[in-house]
Amino acid sequence: MEAIELLLLLLKLIVFPGAIFCIAYGWFLEWFDRKLYARFQNRIGPLLTGPKGLLQPFADFVKLLAKEDITPLGADKLGFTAVPLLSVVISLFILLFIPTYSLTGVLSLPGDLLLVLFVSTVFGILIMFAGYFSGNRFSIVGTERTGLQFVAYEIPFAFSVISVAAAARSLEIANIVKYQTVNNLPLIVCTPIAFVIYLIASLAKLEKIPFDIPEAETEIVAGWQVEYSGRKLAFFRLATDLKMVFVSGFAAALFLAGPYGPSIPGLEPLFYTFWFIIKTLVIMFLLSNLRSLFARYKIDQVVQGFWKYLIPLAVLQILIVEGLIFLGIIP
Amino acid sequence: MSIEKRTFKIPVGPQHPALKEFENFTFTVDGERVIDVDFRIGYTHRGIEKLAESKTYIQNLYLCERICGICSAAHQGCYAQTVEELAGITAPPRGTYIRTLIWELERIHSHLLWLGIAAHEIGFDTLFMLVWRDREVVMDLLEMISGNRVNYAMNTIGGVRRDISDELKHRILKGLDILEERTKYYKEICMNEQTILVRAANIGILTREQALKLNAVGPTARASGVDVDIRRDDPYGAYGEVPFDVIVYDTCDVLARILVRVDETLECVKMCRWVLENLPEGDIRTKFGRKIAENEVVGRVEAPRGELLYYIKSNGTDKPERLKVRTPTLANILPVCEMLKGGYIADIPIVLAGIDPCFACMDRALFIDESSEKKWVWSREQLRIYSIKWYKEHGHEVVRERWKQ
Amino acid sequence: MPMPGALEKELLKHIPKKPATEMYPFVKIEVPEGYRGKISFDIEKCIGCGLCAKDCPAGAIEMVDDERTKLKKRPKFIYSRCLFCAQCEETCPRKAIKLTQEFELADYNKEAMIIDV
Repeated sequence: MEAIELLLLLLKLIVFPGAIFCIAYGWFLEWFDRKLYARFQNRIGPLLTGPKGLLQPFADFVKLLAKEDITPLGADKLGFTAVPLLSVVISLFILLFIPTYSLTGVLSLPGDLLLVLFVSTVFGILIMFAGYFSGNRFSIVGTERTGLQFVAYEIPFAFSVISVAAAARSLEIANIVKYQTVNNLPLIVCTPIAFVIYLIASLAKLEKIPFDIPEAETEIVAGWQVEYSGRKLAFFRLATDLKMVFVSGFAAALFLAGPYGPSIPGLEPLFYTFWFIIKTLVIMFLLSNLRSLFARYKIDQVVQGFWKYLIPLAVLQILIVEGLIFLGIIP
Repeated sequence: MSIEKRTFKIPVGPQHPALKEFENFTFTVDGERVIDVDFRIGYTHRGIEKLAESKTYIQNLYLCERICGICSAAHQGCYAQTVEELAGITAPPRGTYIRTLIWELERIHSHLLWLGIAAHEIGFDTLFMLVWRDREVVMDLLEMISGNRVNYAMNTIGGVRRDISDELKHRILKGLDILEERTKYYKEICMNEQTILVRAANIGILTREQALKLNAVGPTARASGVDVDIRRDDPYGAYGEVPFDVIVYDTCDVLARILVRVDETLECVKMCRWVLENLPEGDIRTKFGRKIAENEVVGRVEAPRGELLYYIKSNGTDKPERLKVRTPTLANILPVCEMLKGGYIADIPIVLAGIDPCFACMDRALFIDESSEKKWVWSREQLRIYSIKWYKEHGHEVVRERWKQ
Repeated sequence: MPMPGALEKELLKHIPKKPATEMYPFVKIEVPEGYRGKISFDIEKCIGCGLCAKDCPAGAIEMVDDERTKLKKRPKFIYSRCLFCAQCEETCPRKAIKLTQEFELADYNKEAMIIDV
């Protein structure tokens, strides 16, 4: 491969839309989420670090890096240290597949929808390992709860994504986005139920209220995160922010026609990035709104609710989509 | 090969985000279910009863107020009315009406604060922030009346210290209107929001028989169908004349406790309005000499958490001989242990918050030696010396026992 | 059957509203009159009876010698111990003690928190 292409690829991987852009955008989304959450409650939210508190997540990250990093005696040293690093690496990896300014992300393969789904599942398993390797009573309870919640939300999440793939008749993210732009039909119109299920399941995936049971602050003192401090905790929080980018970017690609929208020919990448940001902000608005609206459920209610209501709805959605394709309503 | 079931113990406290003050509960759990509860109180023992014996009656007014931050007017008012009975003086009608007004405003304050905390315990931070924003209204009213947002110090022996002018009356009535509207909105939310109902309905059951047997008091007992309220059963202050209803629910769960308190807040607003409309003219205090003859009196009031009991004994000087306080949380600790058994770990914070615990009120160390039937009370200094000696002899056994698994 | 989401209308109403947070210390807070703040003492009116020191629950008033009063004593206020209960204001027979509205009393130096006119 030529040197200039290699350089371009490295630039794409590291700066935009690779690691630095994703991390910075993750911090921006965390700021947006916290400000909205505060505004819903008639409060101010972060205010003083940077203009309007924009640098607050960055300041939190830097502060945590400077804190003391303690490994408890009862913890499994290798696993304890590896889990935060692996979480960040995996989040950055799946972010490479999300289209940010063009049809494809930095990487694209046929069937990459399933690859992305699988790797995001690994994230949930990593959280269980994080609690297990800590060797603390509270984290074991947190691990139990994460495991149960994992069983609950992964299947509806996968089903909602599959119904979108069924409508677009492809398992490649680039093709799904192309289908939406070619037919001028954002798939949220064809699969609205899948969109709702996706939002609810992603609340559970990100461990936000009403599904933040694994790290319920008032009950088990931060659950699986309780023994992590300093650098490791900083990386866990960074991984959570990157997951937020992933969830909203993925939703934008699948349901809202990716980064496409009206633009000036010639300046395309700029405008597409702009539309990508707008769409992910809309998804974050919905998630923040849902987050401030509910109390926290109990773990048995979550598992029952997801299996009794969401999975049948997801299956129904797939059947509806197939029916609509058969009748020729969806092109 | 047999699979043996292991239960393990989760300690909650002394420091835990669910508890605003320090106590220690040890839960024996099996997975998510709580099998047994063991509690240990006494972490915030401050030696108040001993300290009260070395201060004059007037100085003790301010000591008793600080037994609890949120039921401070109840403590001070009960103390003042008990000493008035001890000395044989009566407060004038305007004084008792203003005292009642402060009691009811404090009950509104305490119940709104509790509603926010209960919402926070079930993870509903939005409701927590909104309720506490509206609690500022009642705190501003109390600041206008008494000069301070907590620890109002309005009572003195013989009456109250400050009067309420007409202009202040109008502002209080306006504030009460806002509070009533917001409380009605919160009642609607609590009854209709499904995420609260699944966390609070049928949780923490305390049947009527258990409540009677274990001596539950206050809203905890009224939510289990026990119709007891000191304001109606043994009227004091102006409660003999103010018309009000006693709120009793009989579903015996956490939701009933929430609704009892919210309804009581609405009743308090009505009572405050009645008191303000019908405030009699006259003095607000009578004169009080410094020394009190020998006498002993038991006085009780309905604090926001239940029945609060004061026993004072005088001996002819200007300092009391003995002051004893029995606060409502102490009476509610045994019922809470019953409520927690058989529930889930996830229910522990909301059930614990359901009795509205005020652990600072309740730590007075009373020791009863069963074998010799001796009773004695220790101050903090004596407790400390004893515990240091005991741990020196038995310490290593205790440590081994505790960390056995 | 009750549905989740009963607070939604309220939440959306809050977005355009001004936040309920007071921006203290950038904005000064008004306290009502009658607020119990720092003690102010008028030596002209004092007679040196010592009743304020007897009634103070926190031991924040000590009597020291002074020629200016009738009984040759005057109070010294250690307001780092003060409870702001206003019992001294009530007990003083000449109304020499008043509680003002000043409440920003934090200091690095405990010895400086004494009123000793």
